Amino acid sequence: MNAALTIAATSIRRLLRDRSNIFFVFIFPMLLVLLIGLAFGGDGAARVGVAGQGSQVTDGLVAGLEGQELAVERYRDDDDLRDAVARGAVDAGVILREDGEGTAVEYLAGPDAAGGLLRTAVETAAGEIANRQRAATVVSSMTGLAPQDAQQLVAGVADVVPGVQVDVAQAGQTDLDGFERLGTFGYGAVGQLLLFVFLTSLTGAAALIQTRQLGVTRRMLAAPLRARAILGGQALGRFAVALLQAVYIVIGTALLFGVDWGDPLGTVAVVALFSLVSAAAGMLVGALVSNDAQAGGIGVLCGLAFAALGGSMLPLELFSPTMRDVAHLTPHAWAQDAFADLLRRGGTVGDILPELGVLAAMAVVLLAAGTWALHRSIVRP
Amino acid sequence: MRQLLLITAKDLRQGLRDRSVLMVGLVVPFTLATIFSFLFGGTVGGELDLDYLYHDADRGPLARVFVEEVLAGAAQRDGISVEAATDPATALQLVEHGDFDALFVVPEGFTAAVQQGRRTSIEVVANVDSSLGRQVAAAIAGGFAQELTGAQVTVAAVLTVEGEDAPPIDAIGAAFREAPGRFDVIDGAVAHDQLDETTYLAAGMAVFFLFFAVQFGVLSLLEERRNGTLARLYTSPFPRRTVLAAKTLTSFVLGLVSMTVLVIGTDLLLGADWGDPAGVAVLLVAGVASAVTVVLLVGTLARTAEQAGTWQSIVAIVLGMAGGVFFDVSRGSTILATISLVTPHRWFMRGLGELAGGGGPADVLPHAGGMLLFGAVMLLSTVLLSRVAGRRLP
Repeated sequence: MNAALTIAATSIRRLLRDRSNIFFVFIFPMLLVLLIGLAFGGDGAARVGVAGQGSQVTDGLVAGLEGQELAVERYRDDDDLRDAVARGAVDAGVILREDGEGTAVEYLAGPDAAGGLLRTAVETAAGEIANRQRAATVVSSMTGLAPQDAQQLVAGVADVVPGVQVDVAQAGQTDLDGFERLGTFGYGAVGQLLLFVFLTSLTGAAALIQTRQLGVTRRMLAAPLRARAILGGQALGRFAVALLQAVYIVIGTALLFGVDWGDPLGTVAVVALFSLVSAAAGMLVGALVSNDAQAGGIGVLCGLAFAALGGSMLPLELFSPTMRDVAHLTPHAWAQDAFADLLRRGGTVGDILPELGVLAAMAVVLLAAGTWALHRSIVRP
Repeated sequence: MRQLLLITAKDLRQGLRDRSVLMVGLVVPFTLATIFSFLFGGTVGGELDLDYLYHDADRGPLARVFVEEVLAGAAQRDGISVEAATDPATALQLVEHGDFDALFVVPEGFTAAVQQGRRTSIEVVANVDSSLGRQVAAAIAGGFAQELTGAQVTVAAVLTVEGEDAPPIDAIGAAFREAPGRFDVIDGAVAHDQLDETTYLAAGMAVFFLFFAVQFGVLSLLEERRNGTLARLYTSPFPRRTVLAAKTLTSFVLGLVSMTVLVIGTDLLLGADWGDPAGVAVLLVAGVASAVTVVLLVGTLARTAEQAGTWQSIVAIVLGMAGGVFFDVSRGSTILATISLVTPHRWFMRGLGELAGGGGPADVLPHAGGMLLFGAVMLLSTVLLSRVAGRRLP
């Protein structure tokens, strides 16, 4: 047992001694969490730019849009607004041009899907203003009132008339709940935790290969140690490194970004099991690949690919049903589901037992495979 | 010159046979771009696919107008379908379950309430996950509700002034319907400087991994020094400069080849649209050149090939992140947007945006210039720092 612990401690020391790891293991993940929070953690209200002559009509349109909970930015110049829409600085633009006959409303759609949604909002706001004008026209012609007076009358009456409303309700259950509990940085923190622990474990396999290449492992066998202890030590070493990275990210994001990781027992359980799965995967890669440069490339590829497929870069809830099934081939998806319960819905460890079970099963399978492969590669050079 | 080409050719052959070059230069970026386009490509759709139900509990004339004119009109649009619900309870279940996006309900007594000026409403019940469905349904019902309200307001206003001498209500309503002054919202044209999702991801991955792919030529210099083959190379009868030039050329060619293959590959296989080929070529050359200058700087300052590789990776990652490769940095914080202008990645992506908006090679000269300026700064730093640190590429 002592021997296994020694090998494990050596692995950690090797990790910490390599200064390049300071960036990859410690600084880089925090940078990404920060960037993701800054880029996506905002309030998400759609922004509409309005360019008009600053008349009553323009003011009315702006009020109508703000009433629909859109953020409105006013532009003085038509071309500036076109530029802004093209660049994506606003999600859509509205150019109002008033001449003697009426008002022309030109709608500029931004490239996202938001562009389509916002068109209906603009139509609604514009419709409101148009209707007021039409009412005033009819009133004026039927009663002989001057246009200004007719408009005032209409405005007054509109406040009093209950009118026909549209009552909108929602039905059904959604999986996309609880995001507000994550705060600005919670979403990025979970994603990067899973991405980095797995990635570091896979690329750390290169160290394992170097150990083999240098013949260290075979020399260990010559010592009065059973192969079991050496393999156990390797596994423990990979696990220690993965766990170190995970704990660092959890505590770091909690301290630096105020991320609330929910039920401590639940988080510890997920972190421990996921680290175990990652370590086992790293061991397997280290045992199967013979060239340490290649291992780096494979490690990066698999690490990023699994993270993307497993929902660390885009919420699983937005995946198509097929892709969601594919996602659950990765440990990341199961860990994401567990964290969704813990962080977004305030769950406890009892709620995530199924996910923990799957992660444990994955760890057992990978450990067995990794141990067998490593043993074979040592004993048969 | 011939010696330069000889060494370059040999290094290129070696590089192309080295599986890690293929990995980092082609396999990894292409695989990631493919995966991302599967994931992200699906969520940002442009087309509508909305299915609605309606239940008319009123059966009065105004309800009929809603069903036969408004809803029927909406159903004529591509991607929207409207069906009558058999009964309200089943319909609600279907919406809850997600089989339909929303249900319109015209309540009993609707027509009477509208005609008598009492408050009434059209109900829209939408599935919680279909925000687009909800908004479009609300807009459809809202347009109709606005018309009715407008007529009510007109009637009330005329009655207020004229009292008993007012024309019949129907006449007032008809006058309102016929009154000109509807705001027709017309669609304006915007040149989109933004890449579509697939191209953005493909371009982002390509330019990101470019900075990894270019290291093999120059850093092989450090490898050869370690292996001892460099000393042997220097005993040959040509200047040492030629060796450095050859390694630099190798890096450049490898970078250019990998980028070109990625451009063509993602275009053919993923449907990425890179824009005018001549413009893309300009951006590629400038981009690869800027990447090579980074390797020259890193290679000069590092002591071993391994150290250089690590530093190169760090620089590539930091520049890539700041340059908006992983996600768009033009939104969000303005500090981020400003810092990103220092990176060649940002200029590369912005240049592609110009091409997406229909530009040609002349339009991307500023962007190429930005990347080359970055390269010039790198070269200058290399010369200065090598003097200061007393190190130079062997």
